[in-house]
Amino acid sequence: MTTTTINGRPLALPDDPDALLVDVIRDGGLTGTKLVCGSGVCGACTVLLDGTPVVSCLLPAQAAADKSLTTIEGIGSTGLHPVQKAFMAHDALQCGFCTPGFVVEATAFHDSWRATRGTATPSREEIAAALSGHLCRCGAYEGIYRAVAEACSGRFDGNDPIAPRLEARDKVTGLARYTVDIHHDGQLEGVILRAHVAHARITRLDLAPARAIAGVAAVVPLLDDDNMIRFVGAPIAAVAAKDRRTALKAIAAITFRPEPFPAVIGLDAARRDDAPVVFEKKDRKRAGNVSEGAGGAPVSWKGNVRGPSAPFSQKAKQAKSWLDEARAQRNPLLVEETFRVSTQQHASLEPHAAVARFDGDQLTVHISTQAIHESMEKIAKRYGLPHDRVRVIADHVGGGFGSKGSVGLETIAAIELARAAKAPVRVAFDREEELSVAGYRPAAELKLSLLPSTEGRLKALSLTAHADTGAAVNSLIAGLARLIYPAEAKELVDFDVLSNLPPGAPFRGPGGPPMSFALEQAIDEAALRMKVDPIQLRKLWDPDPNRQRLYDWAAGLDVWKSRKPAASQSGRYRRGVGVATGYWLYLWQTGSSVELAVKGGRLVASCAVQDIGTGTRSVIANTVAKAFDLEPQDVEVRIGRSNLPPGPGSGGSRVTASVVPPTLLAIDKLKAEIKRTASRTPAPGSNAPWREMIAASPDIAVSAKRQEDGKPPPGVRPALHEAGLMGRVFGWVLRLMNHMVVGAGVPSSVQVMEVEVDTWLGHVRVLNAYTGLAIGKLAAPTLARSQAAGAVIQGIGYALYETRETDPSSGHILSGSMEDYRIPGIADMPKLDVHFDEAGFEHVPGGSVGIGEVATVPTSPAIANAIRDAIGVRLTEIPFRPDRLVAALKGRDAA
Amino acid sequence: MSVAVMTAEPTAKPTPEFRAGGTDFSERRRSGVSQGLLIDISATGDKAITWDADGAAQIGALTTIATIATDARIAAAYPGIAASAQGLATPQVRQVATLGGNLAQRSRCWYFRRADIDCLKKGGSTCPARSGNHLYGVAFDLGPCVAPHPSTMAAALLAYDATITTDRRSGLTIAGLLGDGSVSHADHTLAAGEMIKSIALPAPLEGERASYKRAISRTYAEWPLVELCTRVVIADGKFQLVRLAAGGVAPVPLRLAAAEVALHGKIANAASIADAAKAATSGAKPLPMTGYKLDLLQGLMRDVLERLLD
Repeated sequence: MTTTTINGRPLALPDDPDALLVDVIRDGGLTGTKLVCGSGVCGACTVLLDGTPVVSCLLPAQAAADKSLTTIEGIGSTGLHPVQKAFMAHDALQCGFCTPGFVVEATAFHDSWRATRGTATPSREEIAAALSGHLCRCGAYEGIYRAVAEACSGRFDGNDPIAPRLEARDKVTGLARYTVDIHHDGQLEGVILRAHVAHARITRLDLAPARAIAGVAAVVPLLDDDNMIRFVGAPIAAVAAKDRRTALKAIAAITFRPEPFPAVIGLDAARRDDAPVVFEKKDRKRAGNVSEGAGGAPVSWKGNVRGPSAPFSQKAKQAKSWLDEARAQRNPLLVEETFRVSTQQHASLEPHAAVARFDGDQLTVHISTQAIHESMEKIAKRYGLPHDRVRVIADHVGGGFGSKGSVGLETIAAIELARAAKAPVRVAFDREEELSVAGYRPAAELKLSLLPSTEGRLKALSLTAHADTGAAVNSLIAGLARLIYPAEAKELVDFDVLSNLPPGAPFRGPGGPPMSFALEQAIDEAALRMKVDPIQLRKLWDPDPNRQRLYDWAAGLDVWKSRKPAASQSGRYRRGVGVATGYWLYLWQTGSSVELAVKGGRLVASCAVQDIGTGTRSVIANTVAKAFDLEPQDVEVRIGRSNLPPGPGSGGSRVTASVVPPTLLAIDKLKAEIKRTASRTPAPGSNAPWREMIAASPDIAVSAKRQEDGKPPPGVRPALHEAGLMGRVFGWVLRLMNHMVVGAGVPSSVQVMEVEVDTWLGHVRVLNAYTGLAIGKLAAPTLARSQAAGAVIQGIGYALYETRETDPSSGHILSGSMEDYRIPGIADMPKLDVHFDEAGFEHVPGGSVGIGEVATVPTSPAIANAIRDAIGVRLTEIPFRPDRLVAALKGRDAA
Repeated sequence: MSVAVMTAEPTAKPTPEFRAGGTDFSERRRSGVSQGLLIDISATGDKAITWDADGAAQIGALTTIATIATDARIAAAYPGIAASAQGLATPQVRQVATLGGNLAQRSRCWYFRRADIDCLKKGGSTCPARSGNHLYGVAFDLGPCVAPHPSTMAAALLAYDATITTDRRSGLTIAGLLGDGSVSHADHTLAAGEMIKSIALPAPLEGERASYKRAISRTYAEWPLVELCTRVVIADGKFQLVRLAAGGVAPVPLRLAAAEVALHGKIANAASIADAAKAATSGAKPLPMTGYKLDLLQGLMRDVLERLLD
């Protein structure tokens, strides 16, 4: 038997030549090393082999024989490494799932840099090249640049810093445990058998051969009761076995007969009159849901096309007739264009995962979820269990972005397998499942017509969106154009186009980025034709008070004032500057509750909410600490457990606005209670009276529920009020069905992007990004900045690189690996300037609303407008890949 | 993803395969694309770079890409080889991947890489990419399979007239090793059990220079849409030697012979490069989705050659 040394301790290596190092490391309990892409491209599994960073997902375990391995757990084991300290201080992390890999690589870079270059500061380019084998989906690159540069320059050789993110230390040391890291005694591994064809009925499903295999503990069917397969990868059954290899063997032994149905793949094919139908009338309720809220009014459905859905239209006939007239008259101000956006995968680095165990009739499920409390309720309902018999746990969640908002197949499979096997079961999607059947933001075709009036106001707008929703419904893209830029008339029509592709899912501001991609380019085009400054035109057409202030900020940027027209540029590299606007709804969840207690002389805040990398722990800790004149680290925050007071889901940017107000109420109550029970008052002149009183206080606890907002000032109203009566109806439905309130005031963002286009190689680089955000007061300023930066780089991915590729006839997802689904790397992160305008939400207790979604809405159109500014050609389809750039420059259609 | 394969049994019989660094092999093995006997050669192979008196180098097949990328003498003698090595994959992969493995790696075609789809390289009878989605396919359609050869080092070695020694043959050119692109069932001409041992580079010419670049969408760590390694000798202000070896465009790395001829003897300036770049795509046969690669190839040719001007 061969051995290796891991973090200074001997470890036996398996003889199996196929065993990979990452599995040996993780099976040995060192779960800081993460398995993400499995193809060596993301770097999350990076370890040091004799001091050299390598990817353990591709390295045969035997290659470590007689060598020395260092994992994240071995770095800083005798005190934090300067790189770890710098990552903590600069908030160079969000969800934390990629962090161990980045830290391991950066320590090797740091150590070799210091050995040869002393305390010189490495450039951005040097850092980017060194870390080019790592990917971060939250987009923590800005902090990573700063952290690595300053660690190398020696700034973090001293004491441990105070991290703005409460759980940062656990994340930079690999101690943070995610759902995929959970391991119970006797735990089994679950694997899902998925369909290989896009459309079929399954008959004669025989699970017995799988059950007969040694090491298999349970096999459960997962087919819907109609036995239909409607996309490649649809679930058929699941197996729990002693290990993954045995489970895969068992999956392969299951037999069935697929009765083939004709399939149709994608937006264009599914709209044809003769297209095979994916959901017959009786089956329509089986379709998935791509939106966060409940569906609106009933919508008509013809073949695979569901719609028109046009609740937010305003004098649609009038809009149509004005636009027809302008077309007939060849009005030069009439902007008409068809835009296309691509399918965007969430690509969370922690896959969808659940670990279920029954202890008698008590069910405990660890889930990588955005909604622990709601998951608990739904699981209890599905399996007929009382709420106190179901416990959902999510201490750390490796990204979600909307894809982990409901109880998913991984959870159902884990629970059913655990019940059948009478043992704990883990189900974790592999990367191909994650990048094909775990949800996505649907692609869409957007037909837009925009007509300014002769007085230079916005007269009429028409936007028709056909969304490529796969086996799902409820896309809302065009309708969102009602809530910004008031016009005399708007025709806003949404269609879902269903086909034999996996169902779409909510994704960070669901229809916002697609709508903005079309509308903001049309506004830009109108400004060009009207020969007015694009920011000034927005200022004229968009009366929202928050955005009025942001327009003034943007107009004052040097990069904006010194723009050069495209016509003046003729070389290989051309630069352009573009602007775009975004908004999102201000949402909060009713019933959100926070308990605040003194326990053992320490403040403890509790809420059944989760932190998916957004910083929920820090938001609560900061709020409490500030009120008691303490440091956030002095406050213990308990979240991630469903048996705590009910908290909101991490969707709709609603967490901060849902938990800060009840935390403030609880603070007032607790202060009164501490004073009431105090045996003595603090010494006169004490500079830390609350610290002393808390330390001396008996254990007490208070709780508070989210209160209503105060009365907003005149002119500040909920975004939905722009949509008149239908908007109010929509708001009532949201409150009744989804416990979400659309509050007054509109979270807003204005972005200015500077790009450089390489006209020879079709390459677009965002050089500088300026993002202005009006989201009220910052509950956790450093973390808000991290969110703003992450939103920009995710928007850059949407604009430049990301697209799902499918086979047009079989419906296979071809971009099922991180090599082929391309998320931005650190070198793709532009220099960033973040401007927060903290006014506008004084009527919200605490004054803070969410940032996650609004910050990513305008990025893709701002880049599109910048490219138009650089090369004089407007590209209408994202991603702006080299093939599309060279085609546009030659005036030819891209593939 | 675990899928039920409802098509016929895999038609290809697994052959034994050598594993060096494993950076390509492990992924195929995990996904089930590659099965059969595994022979690990990582501990036994030649990892040395040796130099002849005349300045020619022999590189052992198990030399890592990182070694080649950072070796000062390689960078001085064969800058195109060094730059190509620096440009491929990621830093961590380069630490482990070997030169021999880079030459013998399998196709990156996304149909090939899915265990549940049959294709020519897996013994099937048709190329699903040709009739399906071949966005990253070839623009010089030389054979039934439309996947470009994935080896960046092969294109660089082609530019340098390198020869390969296996345990059975010696003096193999890159064309001899990889074929002419008309054979679709494999990515090279190695017989079952034949192993690459070393790679020989002729001594560099007096005054030669080289450059390498790949066209990709992001900044780093992406398989090339098109890549180009070029060597030139410029004397008396004229191109005396031009070598252009392109990857990403054909089933094998391609010498752009027409463009080389077009530049030979021409004044070394941007105007003659721009003029000759039109010949870079001579003989191209793009697929419906790959016409853009020809624009990129011309742009790349201008890029890499202009960087070699004084």
